[in-house]
Amino acid sequence: MADSAAVTRVLFEDFTPSTVRLFYVIGYSAIAAFLYGVYVQVRKYRRGVPAGMPLNLLPRLESMLVSLLNHRMIRRRDHAAGEAHRLIFYGFVLLFLGTATITLDYDILGPLFGVHFWHGEFYLWFSLVLDIAGLMLAGGLLYMMYRRGWLKPPKLDYARPDRAPSDPDYDRSGYRREDWAFLWTLLTIAATGYVLEALRLVWLASRPEVWDTRWWSPVGAALAQAFRALGMSEAGAGEWRRNLWWFHGLLALLFIALIPYTKVKHIFTAAGSLMFRDPQAAQRLPREKPDAPRPGSQYITDFTWKQLLSLDACTKCGRCHEACPARAVGAPLSPRDVILSLREFANRTLASPALPAQAELDVHGKGPGQVAMETLWSCRTCMACVEVCPVAIEHVPIIVQLRRKLVEDGDMDPQLRKTLQTIHKTGNSFGESKRKRAAWTKTLGFPVKDARKEPVDVLWFVGDYASFDPRNQKVTAGFATLLRDAGVDFGILYDGESNAGNDVRRVGEEGLYEVLAEANIGALSGASFNSIVTTDPHSYNTIRNEYPDFGGSYRIEHYTTLLLELMQQGSLAVRHKLNLRVTFHDPCHLGRFNKGYEAPRDILKILGCELIEMGRCRSNSFCCGAGGGRIWIPDPVGADKPAQNRMREAAAIEGLQVFVVSCPKDLTMFEDALKTSGLEGRFVVRELIELVREAA
Amino acid sequence: MKILVAVKQVAALDEDFEIRADGKDVEAEFLLRDLNEWDDFSLEEAMRIKEAATSPVEVVVVCVGPESADESIRKCLAKGADRAVRVWDDAIEGSDPIAIAQLIAAVAKRERPDLLFAGVQSSDHSFASTGIAAAALLDWPHAAVLTQLTYTPGARTARFRRELEGGLLHEMEIDCPAVLTIQLGINTPRYASLRAIKQAAAKPIEVLTLADLSVPPGAVGEGGSLSRVRRMYVPERGRAQMIEGSVEEQALQLAAIIREATGGAA
Repeated sequence: MADSAAVTRVLFEDFTPSTVRLFYVIGYSAIAAFLYGVYVQVRKYRRGVPAGMPLNLLPRLESMLVSLLNHRMIRRRDHAAGEAHRLIFYGFVLLFLGTATITLDYDILGPLFGVHFWHGEFYLWFSLVLDIAGLMLAGGLLYMMYRRGWLKPPKLDYARPDRAPSDPDYDRSGYRREDWAFLWTLLTIAATGYVLEALRLVWLASRPEVWDTRWWSPVGAALAQAFRALGMSEAGAGEWRRNLWWFHGLLALLFIALIPYTKVKHIFTAAGSLMFRDPQAAQRLPREKPDAPRPGSQYITDFTWKQLLSLDACTKCGRCHEACPARAVGAPLSPRDVILSLREFANRTLASPALPAQAELDVHGKGPGQVAMETLWSCRTCMACVEVCPVAIEHVPIIVQLRRKLVEDGDMDPQLRKTLQTIHKTGNSFGESKRKRAAWTKTLGFPVKDARKEPVDVLWFVGDYASFDPRNQKVTAGFATLLRDAGVDFGILYDGESNAGNDVRRVGEEGLYEVLAEANIGALSGASFNSIVTTDPHSYNTIRNEYPDFGGSYRIEHYTTLLLELMQQGSLAVRHKLNLRVTFHDPCHLGRFNKGYEAPRDILKILGCELIEMGRCRSNSFCCGAGGGRIWIPDPVGADKPAQNRMREAAAIEGLQVFVVSCPKDLTMFEDALKTSGLEGRFVVRELIELVREAA
Repeated sequence: MKILVAVKQVAALDEDFEIRADGKDVEAEFLLRDLNEWDDFSLEEAMRIKEAATSPVEVVVVCVGPESADESIRKCLAKGADRAVRVWDDAIEGSDPIAIAQLIAAVAKRERPDLLFAGVQSSDHSFASTGIAAAALLDWPHAAVLTQLTYTPGARTARFRRELEGGLLHEMEIDCPAVLTIQLGINTPRYASLRAIKQAAAKPIEVLTLADLSVPPGAVGEGGSLSRVRRMYVPERGRAQMIEGSVEEQALQLAAIIREATGGAA
């Protein structure tokens, strides 16, 4: 082999000093444009309010790097696109590191210390790795082009369900053009890189240290062979190379310069968003700051810097759009569009040197970039969007904070307004007297302890629906009987219990939520118990995740966990197996919110049921439509409802006998939807408690 | 420009209530307190005039009631009323609407508003007379059951509409100051968020006694009232009986009941 120092890539050979200088001027200009763009973006984010969370930079950096490197989030529910992105990502990272290596050798270590390492064996491995990286990049890009151009998944259609086709914001063809420009630019850079490599090989074919080592750049070498076979001369290759070198270099520098101004910035913003993710974003909503000038988010400057950063992280991938139950039934909401609207709004108002007048910062309304009331009220806060977002955008707290402003102004459905007033007045959403909260116990035939008066082992927080809804009262009584039969020492708070507030908070009535949470924490602190159990996943979520912020930290279980424990201990016997073909609906607040996926399934197994999963199960469970206060807002007449959509999904299971739920609101929503979707008689909806009772 | 809005904290019945031992009212612990529904609308009407005005308009809420009424008053303050006056003295207990109207008229004399609004009636006692009686005591013109109102602050008259029987509308004009009683549905009352209600705690509620208003104790309470409650009771209800059994059995039972009720003629 030739002298190691000679085995390298020529950089500026046969360039005049002035053209080299020109290249550096252009290069530094590109970097300057990049830095200025970054400055403008950072200035934009800094116009938000503090995020009010500990920074914990190191652990956050670590978890962000793990997410980036394993690509788990991007592969979810779109495996092929995830793998293609992984190829692009690793290809790009390697190529970037490659260029950085050259800079380190040629521009830093060489001039400063006279040290060069980019030659010899290292160089050869470097060429091979970069050639493979280029293939990965190009392969990923080609798949993405195939996907956009031929597969055309519906989620990549950016037409907005909440705007009329005549609206200028309706189809957003600008985004599509940008997507294609991004793909073509990167692909062109990669392709011209290979051609340049081939031309260099042909041009310098007379140098053994170049030509003999050519197969360390296999793609370039193959192309070079082809060029020579087509009769390209060494001089001709040199001439071609000079021109293409500038084209390739300028395009690459343009790409770098444009990063902060285009979708390419997701390289940084997505990483930033992932880094500052809040794993409890939807489960534990942010408190209102007592000194806040107004509730929630009215102006774009009311958003936290982290929220503004995450708006820029969105890559329009459409996973949230696909998962959203409101969007699925044609409601004017797509979580992606909320994010994109706000991003466009922030870019229009916060990117200029001076902040516009406050009136122009109002994000509520129907203008460009604004978010309409109807959109915000369509949300079920089911967390499907937050769960699936590969770049950790937290839609639910954003939507709830926008709703807080609507609630303050009374901009809500009259029925919802009435319900909130009723809850304030009576402590429950049924408008029933507090005294009647425990009326269901009268049918039991045995007394239920008043946990305010005597100590109990397990305090049962019953919740509104389980207490007052006549259909659910039967289940509630059934659960009481199961507890008694299993010998559990339990009690309830009677009229000391109020609505837990989970949904009131998600409506955006933070003040009322505080009243309810404080009332319940007050009642709980007056009782003596070891742990709490509830049949209501909504109460479960807020007591478990949100009451601690108000000074109430408790050990709380959803009933499925407790029942499973009792069954496994043998305290609760299964006398006859049920032999039913069932499917299970994961309640949002039990499953996605609190990862309670297994206990109900384990119980079904013990009961002898054959569980057939629906396509959308576990973390991809489909909301019943009741969350976020939507149970108090009438659905538009004639429109499809998420619960009906779910019933049709279940009906596709052959021989399905029982649709099993484990949430009082689910029971109400799905029994209703079974009738209205015309599927009554095909199967029945049952609470898991009812099945356990049947088997006992 | 000032609008005085008379409001009342009314009582609603809780489940399974009991009548007080003296038989004249429901036992207090079975009553749920809230702002009278009509007053939501009259306050909203005042707020709309205030918000549409180019010159300052003060909306003052007046309420005759004990300290527990502050909760309802605070809702009015949360919705934007500038301040509130609450009149109370133990001697007021047992007053009839005319006696209450005296107190409201006395506050109106102190406040000298351009308009005095009241709800058409209260949802608990339904006398529908407090507002009108106050007008008589003040010797101001009055109009009842308004379903639409147009008033520009500073104007000498107010225009309004009332609904008459047979689908007729009555459009009228009245000289100010005047007393107007407001009907449900005249507007859509706003929502008072809990945040606003909490913030309203900082707004003043001025408490006035009989002495402050120079009303002698003898003019109010049962003694000062010209009408008195004799008795409050739940009338005997007709009984309903569930018929159970198979269709044949039910039909037989039903036939027997009809026969009995019609004296065996059927």
